[in-house]
Amino acid sequence: MIDRLCDQAGRKDIAVVGLYCDFLSHQEQSTTNVLGAILKQLSRRGEIPKDIREAFQKAREEFGGRGLQLFDQVEIMKITASLSRVFICIDALDESTPQHRQELLQSLQEIVRGSRNTRIFLTGRPHIEDEIMRRFSKVVRIHLSPTQGDIESYLEMKLSRDTDPYAMDDELRADIMRVIPEKTSKM
Amino acid sequence: MAAGNVNSFNVLTNHNNIVNIITETDTEEDQILQWLSPLEPQRRHQAVRTGRLDGIGNWVLEANKFKEWSGGKDDSVEPLLFCCGSPGVGKTYLR
Repeated sequence: MIDRLCDQAGRKDIAVVGLYCDFLSHQEQSTTNVLGAILKQLSRRGEIPKDIREAFQKAREEFGGRGLQLFDQVEIMKITASLSRVFICIDALDESTPQHRQELLQSLQEIVRGSRNTRIFLTGRPHIEDEIMRRFSKVVRIHLSPTQGDIESYLEMKLSRDTDPYAMDDELRADIMRVIPEKTSKM
Repeated sequence: MAAGNVNSFNVLTNHNNIVNIITETDTEEDQILQWLSPLEPQRRHQAVRTGRLDGIGNWVLEANKFKEWSGGKDDSVEPLLFCCGSPGVGKTYLR
């Protein structure tokens, strides 16, 4: 999705940033880290904003590291304001803890309210939709289930990379290509 | 030297002699970015890109819902697109 949006964007005033929530430890997925990662990607596009530089200098002098998350949201919105559109993509939101998820959704809600040119793309299992709806009254929802064609392409790719091709014959191949799509379409 | 952080690695020259090149990697920019967040989602993104089979799930990106969301005017669309599905259906691997 990120690559698709990047291709589509192709313009300098459109930013696409992304984050994967799976495989993050409890500590890593803190809202500060996640918003920070968005800010980091946005900052990489050009000069690091002066406010961020100053906050960094200040934090270096003090003990205790990184400051408030409010700072992140405001900074994200400032950068967003200088662009025509920003896409924030967060994958596997259902794999973060409910608490982190709520905090993050709240921040995203504030960002979207403050910057109308921000688009958020989230993926996750259907059960987190209620949580999302608590923050965003309306969402565009796409329910993803692979098409028969998708499954066939995937199987063909897997079979072409078979590590033991001698065990394969035309009949077995035909069986695989027939039975698996049939079964998965019933799931 | 900024944070005393020095990386050294070996490089093979044309004459196959191993020489040491010392590079100071921690510029202030790097330090600030690292301070903003230690997360490096680009690494995971590279892995996803490698494992992806182009063409699969393209119907999602051709859907009007997606086109409107990504290309519509700011005040005329809902800003949030939620793509949901069971584990393993390929949410991560949409191109």
